[in-house]
Amino acid sequence: MAKVTVKLFGVFRVDTRTPQVEIEVEKLKDVFFALNEKLGHIQMDSGLRFKDAVVYVNGEACKKKAKPLQDGDEIWLLSPASGG
Amino acid sequence: MKKPYDGYMGKVLFVDLTNRTHSLFPWTDADRKRTLGGKVMAADILLRHIQFGMQAFDAENWIVVTTGPLTGCGCPNSSRFNISTISPLTGILTSSNCGGDFGLWLKRCGYDAVIFTGKSKSPVTVSITHNDVVFVDASKLWGMTTTETQERLPKRSGKLVIGPAGEHKVLYACVFSGERTAGRGGVGAVFGDKNLKAVTAFGTAMPDVRDREKLRKINEKWVHILRTHPLTGRQLPKLGTAGLIAPMQAHSILATKNFSAGRFDGFEKICGEELAEKHLVRNAACTTCAIRCARMVKVDDKIVKGPELEILGLLGANILNDDIEKIIRWNYVLDELGMDSISAAGTVAFAMELKEKGVRDFGLEFGKTENIEEMFHKIAYREGDGNILADGTRKMSERFGGKEYAIHAKGMELAAYEPRHAVGHGLGYATANRGGCHLNAGYMVVVEGLGLDVDSLTPHGKAALAIMFQNLMEAVSAGGECLFTSYAILPGFLIDKPNWPVTKIILAAFPYVGPVVNLLSHFTKIAKINIPLLPESYAIKYATGIASTMASMLTWGAYGYNTERIANVILGQKADADQLPKRLTNEAQNPNDPRTKVPLDKMKKVYNRARGWKDGIPTWHRLKTLGVPIRKEVYDAAVKEAYR
Repeated sequence: MAKVTVKLFGVFRVDTRTPQVEIEVEKLKDVFFALNEKLGHIQMDSGLRFKDAVVYVNGEACKKKAKPLQDGDEIWLLSPASGG
Repeated sequence: MKKPYDGYMGKVLFVDLTNRTHSLFPWTDADRKRTLGGKVMAADILLRHIQFGMQAFDAENWIVVTTGPLTGCGCPNSSRFNISTISPLTGILTSSNCGGDFGLWLKRCGYDAVIFTGKSKSPVTVSITHNDVVFVDASKLWGMTTTETQERLPKRSGKLVIGPAGEHKVLYACVFSGERTAGRGGVGAVFGDKNLKAVTAFGTAMPDVRDREKLRKINEKWVHILRTHPLTGRQLPKLGTAGLIAPMQAHSILATKNFSAGRFDGFEKICGEELAEKHLVRNAACTTCAIRCARMVKVDDKIVKGPELEILGLLGANILNDDIEKIIRWNYVLDELGMDSISAAGTVAFAMELKEKGVRDFGLEFGKTENIEEMFHKIAYREGDGNILADGTRKMSERFGGKEYAIHAKGMELAAYEPRHAVGHGLGYATANRGGCHLNAGYMVVVEGLGLDVDSLTPHGKAALAIMFQNLMEAVSAGGECLFTSYAILPGFLIDKPNWPVTKIILAAFPYVGPVVNLLSHFTKIAKINIPLLPESYAIKYATGIASTMASMLTWGAYGYNTERIANVILGQKADADQLPKRLTNEAQNPNDPRTKVPLDKMKKVYNRARGWKDGIPTWHRLKTLGVPIRKEVYDAAVKEAYR
């Protein structure tokens, strides 16, 4: 298990009022389950789900959900619409 | 006799500030059908008027304030108006689309547009009603800030005012209407040069509409589309444009240290989420807006308009400042002084780099914030070094050097998007008619990462997409609409479900649809359909009676874009003037990835061919196909001069 920091941006952060959480997971896909456990009780106004997030691991875009994580990794979850 | 088209008021007011007279400017239904309104109408009027060598501060330079046919017809986001004139910053046409309520009030006075010519001998306020035009002495208003000035004008009226920056002809001074700004290109300086401190409009007339019931139904549908779309219904109301800082950081397009990088370590302290959590008092909106993206914040115990993404980026990352409270304050100060925050911030960043490179010390340096507010005051009043910064980045680089890192296009400072990681946006900046403007550029970042996630480093298909979005946004603006409404044309599921296989396939194919999009832009009649995601075309039909389809929108856009371009050539724009600073085209943002620079020449070749242009100049054939009103001898002389 890796101890990682997940930073929420966009609608995820505004809806959950949570800038970041520390979690212990093995792979990137586990992050979504862990977040649902920690924050799933909060009904997001937008109806968005964490698994629809645009994901960055240590500043690099990552679409491989099976990616193994390591201690100290920083994950950014951005809500999937940003235009303005 | 009943006018053939509804939606319009049918009259254009012509005001001579030198002689303090007014009359009606001839404008027919054929003109309305050809131009629609807004910035396209203004470009058409100015093209017929301008002469070789005419400059921004000539008395003969006209200020053309236009509305669109949807303004005042009950459509969502339709309170926009436009100001066009010769820009003192760029020397070519500028057009500024503003969300204040002046356009609505102007139409209530019975006018679709007002043109100002000449120069008043002393400060003046022009007061427009539907019976009369009155010239009121504005000596007591001269010297006042934009808020003070508006507070002294009749409460129940539409207002246009300038602040001290406009009075001192700062080349990027802007015009205010309420809290909204006609910001870019220095229209405020042209007001100041004409001693035009303010304009007010009060009336009670309303435009007729062609089919009220159908218009009501399409408006309801339109509001529903805007309120349920991921961009206009969720992201913008919740976070405003400021919500872009984090995704821009992620995509490496957050202009940092005068565009020398695309990421800023301190971005979390200046992002939209920080603004929403710690500083947002409430949302605000332009009249008739269904989106409500504006942020209201507190400064000196007053509730004022908060910073947009541009100023958070350009007075944050771009000058290495992570203090959001300072940015909020500077935003307020710039508004009060009446200056375009994008150009002001870009000029300050350039001055900082000049100091860092040992070229010239203006007392400004990256990461140092103590004296920036003072410098803004000096710029607005043209005091000391402020007098130099008041002329903008291009003139400073011509005087002191540093052209390769003077971040402007055609003299206008770039917005906060670093284009080396969104190369289509770079093409847009270079080809935009008014200069380095993200909106006139076609706002390509909305498909290159900030909405859709199309490959942002490939040049494939970008020219075709840029042309289509430039034309479409030109037409949306001409109709009197907020440009944000055009985002709704992007299907919501492509944005909301970025990880779906279907989405991934569509986005991967996107860069290769260029030839099809080109056909659509060039032979617009192919698109003689209305699509539900673009309700403007329906609304124009039901409001005015003009047969309007997606094809008409693209035709109005192409007409406007080409009209503006040939007007710019007459005003002295040279061949192949669509350029970016060398930092963005020759230096890779990531030294290990040669794709991270803007392959401008390659994209421009495709762009020019698809537009029917040669070296950035429309061919005679293209102009004639579109029906742009220009004589052959004028065209030939302008082109000859462009190559000299």
